Amino acid sequence: MRRLFYLVREAWANMRTNRTTTVVAILTTAFTLACVGIFLLLYVNLRSAAAWLQQDIKIMVYLDDRITQEGTHELETKLKADRMVAGTLFVSKEQAVGEFRAQFPADSHLLEGLGENPLPASFVVTLAPSFRSSDAVARWAERVRTMVGVAKVDYSQEWIDALAGLIRYIELAAIGVGVILSAAAVTIIGNTIRLALFARQEESEILRLIGATRAFIQIPYFLEGAVLGACGSALSLGILKLGFELFRQQIGSTGRFKGIEDLVSFFPLSICLTFVLVGMGLGFAGSVVSLRRFGEGRA
Amino acid sequence: MDPMIQLIHVSKYYDRRAALSDVTLEIEKGEFVLLMGPSGAGKSTLLRMLIGEEQPDEGQIFVQGRNVTKLKQSEVPFLRRKVGSVFQDFRLLPKKSVFENVALPLIVQGASTADIRRKVTEALRAVGVDLKRDQSPNSLSTGERQRVCIARAIVNGPIVLLADEPTGNLDPERTAEIIELFKLINARGTTVIVATHDPLVMTQVNRRVITLMQGVMVPEQRFGERVGV
Repeated sequence: MRRLFYLVREAWANMRTNRTTTVVAILTTAFTLACVGIFLLLYVNLRSAAAWLQQDIKIMVYLDDRITQEGTHELETKLKADRMVAGTLFVSKEQAVGEFRAQFPADSHLLEGLGENPLPASFVVTLAPSFRSSDAVARWAERVRTMVGVAKVDYSQEWIDALAGLIRYIELAAIGVGVILSAAAVTIIGNTIRLALFARQEESEILRLIGATRAFIQIPYFLEGAVLGACGSALSLGILKLGFELFRQQIGSTGRFKGIEDLVSFFPLSICLTFVLVGMGLGFAGSVVSLRRFGEGRA
Repeated sequence: MDPMIQLIHVSKYYDRRAALSDVTLEIEKGEFVLLMGPSGAGKSTLLRMLIGEEQPDEGQIFVQGRNVTKLKQSEVPFLRRKVGSVFQDFRLLPKKSVFENVALPLIVQGASTADIRRKVTEALRAVGVDLKRDQSPNSLSTGERQRVCIARAIVNGPIVLLADEPTGNLDPERTAEIIELFKLINARGTTVIVATHDPLVMTQVNRRVITLMQGVMVPEQRFGERVGV
């Protein structure tokens, strides 16, 4: 117990002694990790947006204009009997025009001169949750397209696929930036530990000569690195949260993107804790690198 | 019975120059030995080898029957807990109090708080600096600092006490006090080896003398008798 107390006190005393270096290390680590956090935040939000879009996917089954009422009824029965289908909604040609006018009031004059209603009747189909994957939707659409009375099957999968592609790029960028900036954080903390090693060289030497084990000499440096990393990452979360709230306020006040502020969200608690743990790990790694370079703790 | 310390044909070279050359010697349990010789004779090298700080290029070294040259790196700290060291430059931590400096070897070993308090108090009392326990080593005189250094070396009851030029920074009066202290420690059964180039120490100790000249051991001289013999 006394030994543990001594090791913790040594790590703390060292951080207090080299206050400026410690603060600089925490700040630089915080800003470095905040950069990684920005990519991570973007990635997490786009992923949840993609998942939400995929869950909300609606498939438009447009009907052939020549289809009879019986044919329409038969098709609806078939669709409803399909185990992949969770719900259907019939939109008649008249309803389609009404919706077009409601959605695009400025362009409604386009329909005036056409005489006959050009918009087809359709079924808006919602698939069961377990069949909403990109592949399942594509396969279902392919099958329905061949049914009698169906003119076209349309869904927003292309758009969702494009978003998934963008997410993959952001994921790669986040990994790349994460690796580079994590290495930078390790170097920053490593250098701080090196300064501590230089400052306490004589003490380490004395400890060795009186029978301290390698672990006993090294533990305060590991603790220091881990604390620096944890403080840096916790501070970076604070910076990110502040930036995030400012961003949300900004888009909320512009009016143009109104509504988006409710869709974006900050990291959940589990990711925040993981982020701090990763910071702690990076700090620990910085200590390991420095102790190895310095050759400290040899018997 | 095995001797406490045994060197068998030990040699050590630095840049092809022999710091120690074919040294063979035995030191019994409870002996007080002076290791004499001018600077660069190999005294410090020999002491460093006894605590595993350096390895010989040739030969074997045994401490309490254990071959020090065959120790793994992880075993060296445990050898150093049995062999206390006193240095010419004291090697005390200025940011810690006298008490904290002396407590270090016990903390390193994981001793309990009660044990630390008791043993440190005893050690400080034994060397006569118990009233300065809360002071910084920097506020002490050189003689007192050396006493604190000795207290740190004996606090965990080592079987051997090594002192490398312990009186190098002291005046003759303080030298005599420190030598008396070593004699007291030796009288309690600890094997004491004092390396010095100061002939004054030899006259005060009046015990077995091992002399090294340019790394070579010269035939032994013996003053007085061994403790307990």
